[in-house]
Amino acid sequence: MLKINALKASVEEASILKGLSLTINPGEVHAIMGPNGSGKSTLASVLAGREEYEIEGGSVDFDGADLLDMDATERARAGLFLAFQYPVEIPGVSNINFIRAAVNGKREHEGLEPIKGKAFLDMVKEKAQLVELDGRLRNRSVNEGFSGGEKKRNEIFQMAMLEPKLAILDETDSGLDIDALRIVSDGVNAMRSPERSFLVITHYQRLLDYIVPDFVHVLVDGRIVRSGGKELALELEDKGYDWIKEDIVA
Amino acid sequence: MDAAKPQLMDRPKAEAQHAASEASGAALVSALDAVLGVQADVALDAVPVPHRRVERWKYTPVAAWWKDVLAPDVSTVADAGCEANPVPGLDAYRLVFVNGTFDAAASDLPVHTGVTCMPLSQRGDAKLQDVDAFSPEVSDWFAGLNGRYSQEGLYLRVTQGVELDRPILIHHHTCGAGAFNVLRHDIAVALNASVKIVQWSTATAGADGSVNILTRADVGQGARLHIDKVQDEEGTVRHIAFEDIRQGRASHAEVHTITVRGAWVRNDLAFRINGQGAHAELNGAFLPGEGEFVDNHTTVDHRVAHCTSSENYKGILYGKSTGVFNGKVFVRPDAQQTNAYQQNANILASEKASMNAKPELEIYADDVKCSHGCTVGQFDSDALFYARSRGVGLEAAKAMLVHAFIGDILKGFAVTEVRLEVEHRLAEKHGWDVWNDHPNDDA
Ligand SMILES: Nc1ncnc2c1ncn2[C@@H]1O[C@H](COP(=O)(O)OP(=O)(O)OP(=O)(O)O)[C@@H](O)[C@H]1O
Ligand SMILES: [Mg+2]
Repeated sequence: MLKINALKASVEEASILKGLSLTINPGEVHAIMGPNGSGKSTLASVLAGREEYEIEGGSVDFDGADLLDMDATERARAGLFLAFQYPVEIPGVSNINFIRAAVNGKREHEGLEPIKGKAFLDMVKEKAQLVELDGRLRNRSVNEGFSGGEKKRNEIFQMAMLEPKLAILDETDSGLDIDALRIVSDGVNAMRSPERSFLVITHYQRLLDYIVPDFVHVLVDGRIVRSGGKELALELEDKGYDWIKEDIVA
Repeated sequence: MDAAKPQLMDRPKAEAQHAASEASGAALVSALDAVLGVQADVALDAVPVPHRRVERWKYTPVAAWWKDVLAPDVSTVADAGCEANPVPGLDAYRLVFVNGTFDAAASDLPVHTGVTCMPLSQRGDAKLQDVDAFSPEVSDWFAGLNGRYSQEGLYLRVTQGVELDRPILIHHHTCGAGAFNVLRHDIAVALNASVKIVQWSTATAGADGSVNILTRADVGQGARLHIDKVQDEEGTVRHIAFEDIRQGRASHAEVHTITVRGAWVRNDLAFRINGQGAHAELNGAFLPGEGEFVDNHTTVDHRVAHCTSSENYKGILYGKSTGVFNGKVFVRPDAQQTNAYQQNANILASEKASMNAKPELEIYADDVKCSHGCTVGQFDSDALFYARSRGVGLEAAKAMLVHAFIGDILKGFAVTEVRLEVEHRLAEKHGWDVWNDHPNDDA
């Protein structure tokens, strides 16, 4: 599904990813944890195709294609989805028209006609239920004035609408209350399938109680310094990151 | 008091200082008089041809072509006809003018108690409103031309308390080479009366020459005037339009201008607020494409107390296009408790586009609320990336942002069909598929 090999990336002359490798197979859920500023969101943005980041080395294969050769739109249409750590507000663009444009973009890529009104609204209804997204949010401007938790639900709603092959969730748990965390996790779990993979970025073991990962990786200073099973998350929760950093130095 | 008295709107003095007599094109004017058989009663030579040294024309050069305006091809007639109703589905009265000539067959005048509506040329002895010291004719060369040569247009009188049941659509169409499309609309809306006007300008692909339209409106006490103004001209005509709006007590006047297409467009609006409790609203959007030029000059003159004005202009500039915005707001010494708002926001959609924006507030009263803002920027890169990360194409993502950006301007149109048709034409011009289908917009 995704094969990242020795990826190096920088922004404004500062190198952030310093040779990162990671392989995700179909159906797997990988979690990435790591200290603030270690490069987790940068990895997510680079994979999603944000142009401000300079790729300085390495390769990324997505489903047999060279991911780095595609622009952001093409990556999304090829089945990559990023749930943003900080979802963007777009005043004046209604949430429903936004997601319709997204769905139709994907359909165009697949050689399909734009989706019909009724089919679209049925789909919206079904997917909104999955994350219990308040119906009133559909006609409001994209994320504008949404609470932190509403924004995160909206991200997962969009993911459900677009049915990606690989979903990267960047701190989707931050800002969610306890009930919302469970609802959103249930939504994600409902979408798990042998063909769909997830890369879950989080600071907290709690999310991984709900969305149980197959692998946990620790990202420190632009590199994956340790990988393990889900118990690694528990160990990190217990001990913090210092012992790993010390390990690296040693 | 006298010493502090502002020299408001005293435009000719400044301009006259550099007037060289031969630069006013006097010889060309008298030649044109002869061709058109005009008895000149407007002294044109008092007003010099626009020059870059004059602030109002600083960013709007005309030196290369003003002489062409005075040498039109008068054989250009209304033979190409006019496209059918430019606003499908709009139930409106209609006056069609092709190259300055009234097209009776294509028109549908209101027959309505208390409403006098006819082509200007048929008004007989009915008098037009006065040109006074503050009218554009006395200070602007193009307006002077209009005053001298306009013989046709709309003559409209709405008497006390009458509310016209449908909008009046004035369709200006220009076709052929060397056109000289000069029109004057003279409107008076009496006490508590109300009327909606749509001005729609089109030109054929082969059209060139000039379009010069002056609208003078007297909005009486408690009266309402709403003008939706759409400019969608192909060809290379140069379009200049003046609105000279005079407002009485507790009146309400709005002009909404959208420039969909036009090689060279200048709008010059002046609102004179003469009666207390009046409200003036002027909004506009312009989206010039490659090689196009759009200039919006506005003046809001608060002369009395307790009035409000609200102004909002938005530009999105594509390709190698140029935009100009100049917004004057005068608050005279007597105009206490004025609330004046002005906003001009622009997006440069291309590195080659340029925008010259200048708000000018002159406030001579102390107890007033005036705010203004002016921005020139690019598309929001975070929003673009967010949309693209959902599989929306770059151009479609920009089109969505454009729709959002000018959404408030579009919503200001009084006539829904006009807004929908404008959206359709913009989508067509720019190839914006995502605009075509907004099922929930009106929800
Ligand atoms: N556009 C940018 N300009 C300058 N520095 C940047 C930019 N984007 C990221 N950085 C820097 O790159 C480093 C990694 O940031 P990143 O957002 O990837 O961290 P993170 O691991 O996601 O942190 P957090 O856990 O706080 O979300 C930080 O030092 C950050 O300041
Ligand atoms: Mg982050």
